[in-house]
Amino acid sequence: MSLQFLVDGTVAGATIGLGAIGVTLTYSILRFANFAHGEFIAWGAYATLAASAAMGLLVGHATPPLGPFSFTWLTLCAAVIAMGFTGGLALGLDWLLFRRLRDKGESIIAIMASFGASMALRSLLEALFTAQPTYFTRALQIARPLGFGLRATPNQMVLVVLAGLLMIGVHLFMTRTATGRGMRAVSENPTLARVAGIDVTRVIRITWMIGGALACASGVVVGLLVQVRPFMGFDLLLPLFAAAILGGIGSVPGAVVGGFTVGLAEAAAVAFVGAQWRGAVAFAVLIAVLLVKPAGLFGRRA
Amino acid sequence: MSLPAPATALLVAEAVTAGYDPDLPIVRGASLRVAPGEILAVLGPNGAGKSTFIKALAGIVPIGSGHVLLGDHDITHVAPHLRPRMGLAFVPQTENVFGTLSVTDNLKIAGDALADRTVAASRMAEMFDAFPDLAHARALQAGRLSGGQRQMLAVARALIGRPRVLMLDEPSAGLSPKLVSEVFRRLDRIRESGVAIVLVEQNVRAALALADRALVLVEGLNRHEGLARSMADDPVVAELYLGIHRRAAEALV
Repeated sequence: MSLQFLVDGTVAGATIGLGAIGVTLTYSILRFANFAHGEFIAWGAYATLAASAAMGLLVGHATPPLGPFSFTWLTLCAAVIAMGFTGGLALGLDWLLFRRLRDKGESIIAIMASFGASMALRSLLEALFTAQPTYFTRALQIARPLGFGLRATPNQMVLVVLAGLLMIGVHLFMTRTATGRGMRAVSENPTLARVAGIDVTRVIRITWMIGGALACASGVVVGLLVQVRPFMGFDLLLPLFAAAILGGIGSVPGAVVGGFTVGLAEAAAVAFVGAQWRGAVAFAVLIAVLLVKPAGLFGRRA
Repeated sequence: MSLPAPATALLVAEAVTAGYDPDLPIVRGASLRVAPGEILAVLGPNGAGKSTFIKALAGIVPIGSGHVLLGDHDITHVAPHLRPRMGLAFVPQTENVFGTLSVTDNLKIAGDALADRTVAASRMAEMFDAFPDLAHARALQAGRLSGGQRQMLAVARALIGRPRVLMLDEPSAGLSPKLVSEVFRRLDRIRESGVAIVLVEQNVRAALALADRALVLVEGLNRHEGLARSMADDPVVAELYLGIHRRAAEALV
């Protein structure tokens, strides 16, 4: 039996976990399921491509790849810029759309609107960049042995580590800073939060920024390891929600654990059952967990 | 009945209408004034709008017309999250602590609203001194506290900002008589430090025993106002609006 699915599942889990943090935070703080979240992933990937191309023109000569990796330092700088851009995109979408619906207090309308926003954002990407897949690099990477018969490419290894650091960073932010405390307070009880002196509008803005930035990071990971295409985020949407629900809505560690669980379950399904069962197995795991713990692994209410 | 109005009212509400639906105000022109070091009990039958009134003063129910003044400031339309740092604190009736956060984090949230970090830290230490029960449970999730401890935490949270006016919505709800008297003793001590207290209560007897003045709301309007002691003695008031029997009222004297 090959254990290679552990590597594939961990890589997939890192991308799902990064995206699921945004889903779980929007769900718990803004109280609606944002189906446009996948689009932030795709937009983040394209924004990184565009920014690194623009920076390449500014630099004026080809930059060599960093060490054993297939990307350059320009890609990393572009990713950081794109994270800011995608956070701003999420903020802009809220300003344009969700803010108005929130005032009316109908979360189901916000959910439907997010479907519409998802389609619009995706079509816009197709119009701007065509529906053809594109790549950060076409360089081939040789997978290196990790022991126990496992192999991973240098890109996979460094990106999983970077994703892990980002997740830890967000967790520390949520638990150690005043803003993080405010976000947890608003997610539990927005009215009490206001009475306690928390600026809920500011908390909502920061939630969108974090969700958008992490979605972008997820898109960069997928883009560097697989490819960049307009549907890349939409295709991740179900795993994202599965991970957020599995971990317990509102919990950052839950979204991360949920992400790795879904990623590993999918990879195991591909390895042992057949690729066509990939989605089904992920959802079987989700249902099994919810039967035992209806609030999810780290959920606060049973 | 004329209002024995305090000369130096700190919080003044004048002819306030408020409600979730602007066409159907629940509070229909209610007024109150409370002075430093004074406890005002807001009483009335169920559905009189007591709770909506106090929430409107806290800024979480929209005010249609009327004015709310805190000291010299008109705060009628000031955002609710800015009111604590202006000196107006509010303790809601239910769900008045963040159950998924630790006791410490609950207090830190109130401290975060203060400009100065070191002040926030020293105020929190003061609260742990004043409420030893909370100090022992500081790492516990607030949702695991007992009803009485939770009420203490909600009050401590409100006190971190050193409010000039403290408003409480039914602090006795769900507490045993022994805990009610403990909470009320605390309120008495807070009043002695010069804080003005507005207390919405169903527990009329306990509220009248603690308060200096009382206001009876009926259908969103002031119906009766007076010294708490004389109100407890007034059999008409007691039977009509407060739902306590004459004998119980006499027992208060």
